[in-house]
Amino acid sequence: MAPATQWEVAQPPHDAVSSLVFVPDSHKLLVSSWDKNVYLYNVGPNGAEEASLIKSYEFRAPILDACFGADEHEAFTAGLDEQVKRVDLTTGEQTLMSKHTAPVRCVVYSPEHSLLISASWDCTLHVHNMATGLASSPLPLTIKLPGKPHAMAASPSKLVVAMTARLVHIYDLPTIAKAITTKEPVVQPWQQRESSLKFLTRAVACMPNDAGYATSSIEGRVAVEWFEDTEKSQARKYAFKCHRLPAPEEEGGDIVYPVNALAFHPKYGTFASGGGDSTVALWDAEAKRRMRQLTKFPDSVAALAFSKDGKYLAIGVCPGFETGMEDYSGEGRTKVFIRELGENEARGKGAK
Amino acid sequence: MILEGACFVAPQPDRGFELESVIPCVFQRLPHHHIVPHQSDSLGISRSVHSVTCVQPSATMGGKKRKHPDLEELLDRPWCYYCEREFEDLKLLISHQKAKHFRCDRCGKRLNTAGGLSVHMNQVHKENLSNVENALPNRQGLDIEIFGMEGIPEDIQNQHKERIRENFFRDQQQRYAATGNPPPGQSGVQGVTKKIKIETAEELKARLAAHRARKLAAANGNPAVPVDGQSPSQITSPFPAPQAGYPYPPASVPGVPGVPAVPGFSPSQAYPPVYPSGPSPPPGAPGAFNLPARPPSNTLPASTLPQRPGYYQNAPGAPATGYPAGASTVDELVSGGARQADVIDQMIRMAEAGVKPAQGAPEQAAAQKKGKKDKARMVYDDQETSPEEKMALLPRYRVPIVA
Repeated sequence: MAPATQWEVAQPPHDAVSSLVFVPDSHKLLVSSWDKNVYLYNVGPNGAEEASLIKSYEFRAPILDACFGADEHEAFTAGLDEQVKRVDLTTGEQTLMSKHTAPVRCVVYSPEHSLLISASWDCTLHVHNMATGLASSPLPLTIKLPGKPHAMAASPSKLVVAMTARLVHIYDLPTIAKAITTKEPVVQPWQQRESSLKFLTRAVACMPNDAGYATSSIEGRVAVEWFEDTEKSQARKYAFKCHRLPAPEEEGGDIVYPVNALAFHPKYGTFASGGGDSTVALWDAEAKRRMRQLTKFPDSVAALAFSKDGKYLAIGVCPGFETGMEDYSGEGRTKVFIRELGENEARGKGAK
Repeated sequence: MILEGACFVAPQPDRGFELESVIPCVFQRLPHHHIVPHQSDSLGISRSVHSVTCVQPSATMGGKKRKHPDLEELLDRPWCYYCEREFEDLKLLISHQKAKHFRCDRCGKRLNTAGGLSVHMNQVHKENLSNVENALPNRQGLDIEIFGMEGIPEDIQNQHKERIRENFFRDQQQRYAATGNPPPGQSGVQGVTKKIKIETAEELKARLAAHRARKLAAANGNPAVPVDGQSPSQITSPFPAPQAGYPYPPASVPGVPGVPAVPGFSPSQAYPPVYPSGPSPPPGAPGAFNLPARPPSNTLPASTLPQRPGYYQNAPGAPATGYPAGASTVDELVSGGARQADVIDQMIRMAEAGVKPAQGAPEQAAAQKKGKKDKARMVYDDQETSPEEKMALLPRYRVPIVA
């Protein structure tokens, strides 16, 4: 069994990391940043412990999220300038996909349904059907949301949108795809839920087996839930505390950090959480066990991503934004780590 | 529905997520054995180290044994070299070490020693163990072979014993000071630190008001007390009344040497019948002369409460009928004494509660837990706005406006 190793990406972004995403079929990592750039890195091509910058793409505003499209040459970005853009990663050509009326917080691409979905603080989702080609769908399908979206994730058949006021909407992707072709004006959510967590939702990640999802909040807590709306299935959901540190003796209590990032392992159904306490923990969702806590990182963990084969875990590290901050800069303190996981490091031990 | 706050209901408690980070440690051990975490860490090492100095061995057995283990017992307790935690029993210590310090984080195998774990890691996982997990910073080394209490270097054993002793005596002192109980074998009289009286603001005010009223009455009722250059309180001093509840003597307390006003008095005016049958009182100590039994030290200015009644032993000698104020003083004295006893009672009760947190009623524990929870500080606590939105508002990230 290969030992777990970890290394840092050369030439990291100049400011806070907003998202990390691996190219579906190769070991390339796309990093979006508040420094108005999106970076493409080559991660350990042949197991070499290095990650070199292949290319960076400059935008006119900070990028809050990025995702890959149909292949490894296509990426989509969500910008603070209210725009969703398509980037050809080979040529660097940028195409405007959608224009919101507020900054775009999240963007996801569902390869199963060829749908591009963006969520913006103007409380709407824009959905493009990428299968019909760019030219044929100039106007996106707009879905109104009851609150500002803060996190979004897609599983093979579902889309989970977490909003303010602890609202969680789950959309059925085939329904959305059908609505686009039939030009239905309104798409109802498949399920409307209230977050199991009492505080503002920070991150959402879907299980790769399409069974459920995990959410995390600013109050050091993670909840795991299942899509299936049966009593038995709902009874399985649970939440737990994490990413907390004991406060100094004189204060007492705990310092509670936000859980900024969640990512499911594509094969084992285990998941990783990254928090403001600068740690990453690996959890076994089935056995309800923590499998591992990675050694502390130099700063708050902002983003996490597993490579599609589950071999690598990318960890975006930058100072966390905390209550009472007047100013913020991730300059010089932003780093991206790549961890090559040991063969069984992320494998659950199964419910014992 | 998930109960926030009630963390994790794992089907099997010991198979849940590694609980040390998930569940406050208070809940971790209670059901399994009788180790009760101390409120504050008496070893001063780290929060996770539980002190067992205040354990009541009989708490779960129903009997009423000694409340505080004696020093021998404490020194005999097995303790863990790696985290300084103490255990009731060697078996518990060994299972603790296997679970906390010698457990393989890859496969969960529990080894007997750090060396065993190192070999296991090497052979099974092809990894090198660099340090012992969950150990205190300077005790992480693999070079010392520890099993239970075996293998602990002598100097560290001595250090540990020293710390136990220190803590024991400190706690003991605190207990004595708080309860007012003398150490065993010593009589109460010698206890210098005995019974600290703490008065609440209300009590002080009430006493001041009573004092003023009496002062006024005395001034009106005995306008003829002829003392030059004396403050009103000194004028009234022939009457025991003003001093009734005083924890400390006013300037004119008889028996305090060197108080200038005292010789000016003529105690004979106030107490003619008790006055000298023997030698005339030495100047400066007119009140003490007729209390031969009292040791001289009691007349020192530090005349705290216990001495008060002694002083008033003068009063019964005086015809109470002639001094109506005096009668009320005695009442006052009695009630004051009762009140004082109440305060002491309460102090003892509080001290007991404080020293034995485990005995507190469940609701008290719940309140404590709640208080602890309330103290949790969130580094980001805005319920409506995400950090990204706040960052987006900063001038640094402002989007240039394009035409």
